[in-house]
Amino acid sequence: MRMFYRILAYILAAEVVVQAGAMALAIAGLGTWVDDGGVFDSAVMQSDELAFPEVVGIIVHGINGSIVVPVIALVFLVFSFFARVPGGVKWAAAVFGLVLVQVTLGFIGHGIPFAGGLHGMNALALFAAALHAARRARVTTSADTAAPASVAAPV
Amino acid sequence: MAPTRTRRVRLAVASGAAMAVLAPIAWFWQDSLLPDAYSAMEHGYADTGGGHAVHSGHGRDVTTLTADPGRPADVSVRLTARRERFRLASGRAVDGYTLNGTSPGPTIRATVGQLVEVRLANENVADGVTLHWHGVDVPNAADGVAGVTQDAVAAGREHTYRFVADRAGTFWYHSHQVSHEQVAKGLFGALLVDPAPSAAADVDVVALTHLYPGARTIGGREGDVPVEAAPGARARVRIVNTDNGPTQAWVAGAEFRVVAIDGADVNAPTPVRDLAVPVTSGGRADLAVTMPADGAPVRIHIGGPTGIVLGQRTHTITPLPRPAATLDPLGYGSPAPLGFDPTAATRRFRYDIGRRPGFLDGRPGYWWTVNGHAYPDLPMFTVAEGDVVRMRISNHSGEVHPMHLHGHHFVVLARDGKPATGSPWWVDSLNVADGEEYDVAFVADNPGIWMDHCHNLPHAAEGLVVHLTYVNVTTPFRIGGTAANEPE
Repeated sequence: MRMFYRILAYILAAEVVVQAGAMALAIAGLGTWVDDGGVFDSAVMQSDELAFPEVVGIIVHGINGSIVVPVIALVFLVFSFFARVPGGVKWAAAVFGLVLVQVTLGFIGHGIPFAGGLHGMNALALFAAALHAARRARVTTSADTAAPASVAAPV
Repeated sequence: MAPTRTRRVRLAVASGAAMAVLAPIAWFWQDSLLPDAYSAMEHGYADTGGGHAVHSGHGRDVTTLTADPGRPADVSVRLTARRERFRLASGRAVDGYTLNGTSPGPTIRATVGQLVEVRLANENVADGVTLHWHGVDVPNAADGVAGVTQDAVAAGREHTYRFVADRAGTFWYHSHQVSHEQVAKGLFGALLVDPAPSAAADVDVVALTHLYPGARTIGGREGDVPVEAAPGARARVRIVNTDNGPTQAWVAGAEFRVVAIDGADVNAPTPVRDLAVPVTSGGRADLAVTMPADGAPVRIHIGGPTGIVLGQRTHTITPLPRPAATLDPLGYGSPAPLGFDPTAATRRFRYDIGRRPGFLDGRPGYWWTVNGHAYPDLPMFTVAEGDVVRMRISNHSGEVHPMHLHGHHFVVLARDGKPATGSPWWVDSLNVADGEEYDVAFVADNPGIWMDHCHNLPHAAEGLVVHLTYVNVTTPFRIGGTAANEPE
């Protein structure tokens, strides 16, 4: 259980990295496409069309951010109830809460660009919280060997 | 014993906490599942807008709301829909849909007052097809909405549409079955209704702007489309936005007038220059220019990469960046009588668009809401024939929505509380940006069950669809079901 907790926390931290990379890829692709004569406007933005190959970064970011990451964060929170990592529930709840804030800021950013800026900053908070949760699970593993057998027994 | 009990208690607490988190999510998920088939009439809730919801006796079936069946057609057209790989006018090959072998489909032209009859045959489109006459206030039976006014026309089947072209102007037609896919890939065309007697311009150009897979086009042509226009000629360019996002048009080389919006003439349009004209998704704008006497060409920029270049000796003209200022129809042209009194409204509705996380038919996401409810739990705006209807359309969803009401034109009274001061601004497709609020009005004069939806067709597929229904009108058609009706 504790190992799963740790793995899920690392996956969430890695997802932040993937999300940042996907957006940077898409924006770089947009830049070269526009330089080559492409025109990015509402007709392109609102279509399902892959105007340039790096649009895939936006698609990955959208699916990952609106579905995959929230689902992993939810599974992580539920796991935390069973994992018996000291402070584990608290940190899983913090990660889950930051994910909700992140998704909300992401959608609000469509209308209010400033929220998009906060979305970028909150990503770092989420990354740090997920890493911290993962490290807590690692630290407590060694302490756990000294704990009574009943506590260490698998649930 | 004690450690075991502790362990059990812990397990119970953890399980309880897990249930507390998961059970509400599971409940919301199952609650969002849609049945295999359902009527547009039975989901959501009736919103009578302060009027009566009189249901007396048996209702009128939408299939009975037709043009005079005894009247012979003045304009007869046969359109055959096909799924195929075809070539655009630009030469590019596209895997999509055609009507009579081309996309855009044939331009249908009629004179106001004529009865138009279109026989639609579906040769091989597996999902089925329909045709909706965007902007024409047709009888409800001819509205072409799968699952509401007809069943989708299956491959090998036919369906006939009959309607009187009730007003002169620029319109278009498109499929309203799996529309977010079929329209994007070519199932549409132009419908022009000429005034009688004809007051035709010297040069009359239809500019159906469309993004096909891989190609930005005007009428299937890419880049600048040259059109012959002599010095001094009067030209009318009819811009039809068939895409999902709003676009802008502007003119280089001459001043211009916006003579019609959404098939309704602008009263006393004044010449302007250095202004961009917004054309929302599904909307139309007719621009009139008089060609310079010295023979210089005129470019009508439509969106970023495409345009119409009018000229005779030369079609070379330096592109003009989009003007920063936008033409605002709210104050363009001169006031004229509306033909009804919006202050004497008998129904008042609110159409407030928002967005919230949740499930749509079991799919998690961030979905559109209307008046705080998500699909299918949406209001059914209920009116009686003859009602004067006012609606306040507002948008707090973070994205722009081109709102399209079927079967009616509505007039814009105010935006964000600022009253309209120009020509009556009649629309069937209204660009409602995030944070905007429009007061609109119309007369309920066309009985039926009418969609009132976002014309960003993927948004409609995501549930941004409500209906305007007349009391006592019923539909035998169902969304889903054996005909696999899927209007969006």
